Amino acid sequence: MDLQSLASPTGLLIGALCGLVPLVIALRNRTPRPGILGFLACLLSGFACNVLGGLPMILLTVAVVVSYTYTDRDDPFLSRAALEEVDFEETFGAMVTRRLAGLGRTIRAASRALVRNKAGFLGFLGLVFFFVLNIFGPMVIPYDGQPHFYDRRREGAINLFQGPSAEFPLGLDWQGRDILSHIVHGGRALIITSVQAGVITTVIAVILGAVAALIGGLLDQILNAIANFILTIPQFPLLVVLAGLISFEDRFFLAVLLGLLDWPTLMRAVRAQVLSLRERDYVEAAYALDLGLPHIVMREVLPQMISYIVINMIFSIRGAMYAIVGLVFLGMVPFTEPDWGVMIFMGRSQGALFSAEAASMLLSPVIAVALFQLSLVLFTRSLEEVFNPRLRAGL
Amino acid sequence: MEATTSPQAVQSGWAAFWKATRRALTGYTARTLLQGLLTIWAVMTFTFVLIRQMPSNPVQIEAERIVREELVSYEEAYSRAASLFDFDPNQPIIEQYVEYLAKLIRLDFGQSITSAGTPVLDQILQYLPWTVFSVGLGLLISFTIGIFVGMAMAYWRGGILDNVVTALASILFGIPNYIIALLIILILGVQLKLFSVAEALGRVDPTIEPGFTPEYIGSVLSHAILPVVTYVSATVGGWILTMKSSTIATLGEEYVTVAQARGLSQWRVLTAYVGRNAMLPLVTRLAISIGFVVGGSVIIEDIYRYRGLGKFLTTAIVARDYTSMQGVFLVIAVSVVVANMLADVLYGALDPRVRVGKEQ
Repeated sequence: MDLQSLASPTGLLIGALCGLVPLVIALRNRTPRPGILGFLACLLSGFACNVLGGLPMILLTVAVVVSYTYTDRDDPFLSRAALEEVDFEETFGAMVTRRLAGLGRTIRAASRALVRNKAGFLGFLGLVFFFVLNIFGPMVIPYDGQPHFYDRRREGAINLFQGPSAEFPLGLDWQGRDILSHIVHGGRALIITSVQAGVITTVIAVILGAVAALIGGLLDQILNAIANFILTIPQFPLLVVLAGLISFEDRFFLAVLLGLLDWPTLMRAVRAQVLSLRERDYVEAAYALDLGLPHIVMREVLPQMISYIVINMIFSIRGAMYAIVGLVFLGMVPFTEPDWGVMIFMGRSQGALFSAEAASMLLSPVIAVALFQLSLVLFTRSLEEVFNPRLRAGL
Repeated sequence: MEATTSPQAVQSGWAAFWKATRRALTGYTARTLLQGLLTIWAVMTFTFVLIRQMPSNPVQIEAERIVREELVSYEEAYSRAASLFDFDPNQPIIEQYVEYLAKLIRLDFGQSITSAGTPVLDQILQYLPWTVFSVGLGLLISFTIGIFVGMAMAYWRGGILDNVVTALASILFGIPNYIIALLIILILGVQLKLFSVAEALGRVDPTIEPGFTPEYIGSVLSHAILPVVTYVSATVGGWILTMKSSTIATLGEEYVTVAQARGLSQWRVLTAYVGRNAMLPLVTRLAISIGFVVGGSVIIEDIYRYRGLGKFLTTAIVARDYTSMQGVFLVIAVSVVVANMLADVLYGALDPRVRVGKEQ
């Protein structure tokens, strides 16, 4: 999984090139505003992730741009064409445009829903902030990894800790290193591992839950027994034991392990949902109409569950980060600096807990972790609205 | 008596016995009990094998400590460490397992390896009350706050209280408990100097004689404040938000409208019609949470140097004290299983609509 690609000047160029596509299409359609927005979006995402970010963003922005001017000639409610003018044999190009416009409309509706909930939007902004911090931050602030044992000691001070100053906005840590640079560089591995763990959890839970509900019988019973079993073992102590057993030099193993321990709750919920959805009238109607399994799964069943699944994934990500930072905090996994968890561990073991001028070393990563988790939780509010337009009132 | 009964009668007696046994085994209660026992056994076996797969063993860890401290050769340290403990690292794991199981049936958790001669059960009983006290108190407080505040918020929905507390609850819900603990120490203790950090850590002032004296109880309480506050603030947000949405759902029920239409007093509607029903899902959740009380919070106890079961467990893990680890895992598994059963029973008792036995 190559998510580690960094912002680079080449990326800026790629982004600019990608951005030309929606811009040109928008100008031809005489809708400059979404065109310019699309150009900027492509520029940024290309800048952030090179080709990986630029190319998908072309698709999304073009879809949005197209959706502003597209009218479906076949749609009796929208088209002004007379019946005999309409050619029902759709060409490939027309189909692509129609699909694109549909996607674009979905994106526009989703972004409106995203903004509607204030708390959720705040969470979204928080996540964007951390995204920008981790992708673009390293370009601006280089990593200060060398211990500066003596040259940075203030006169008369007994240790290298320093409170915030103009030169080092967050102060210096126990080895006299710039804390701000550690915050900027120390979150990426943690966030990536947490996201990986969340995705793995969700995939396992959804597949097993659906299988248990659809196949049933003995398999269902076995899966339930395993879920029960995992839920009974105390998770965190088990992780501590496993951390002694398995080398977590490669953090991906840790993500897999967290995924393997975290799936039972979601799996049970998915199983219950599938069981109840299977009996609904509209699903049976879809069966009776012989619409095919892909259609039934994608159009009838999944939309009912997607909100729950995605929100659970967010909570899994949060839980994974809790566990990873906790493990590092107890000193149970090998350290890779820079890392927020390691900063917390070191800050505590080097006595930053008891001295006011060293507090920045502990407070900075603590606040970073807290803010990230808070953003995740708040963001689920917006997700609820994005996936469920009927939910307008409420929190 | 046996002699006077005819073979026919004996046979039918046996048949009736088997029938009764089978009915009892397939009955709901027995099946749940059996399932619980099986789960506990599975967790026990799993952890038994797992903790013995960890690198190094108690004798090696102790030998390393002796080498570090006394500058003797490793071989000498090893033989000394081996003589300290009543534990043979070369014994096959199957033998150890059978021995352990045989003892366990008599409720004997074995002897602690690193502090030889002390039964594990004694040690667990020594640490357990502290964890149960601090985590349990925190759970009860946050549950109570959650119920009342959540209900008030649902009643005056959209008001100032609702908006402020919702924001606050989301923030508290979003932050991990150890982060809250660190923030409490850093901001309230170090920056604002509201309390002395060095004095607040630990679980009781060691200079005070244990006993039912006001000083001792006061010391216990004052040391428990920080962990309890942490547990409460880490969980109260979840309780409040759940209770709020549960109450909103209940307020929309027809029987509430009917009760109001009948002219019942506000208070009676609030307590007997809304409150009780809105609490239902929360009570079962409370029962499940009780199971996790025993596991405590390993990290929180570590931060506050609060020597409860979690701290005992981490110490045992680091020293590879197999029997102690095993004992703690077993206690946790049992409490989780029992709490889950309790949740089932409670749910059936509180909500007559649910017929626990009927559902397959």
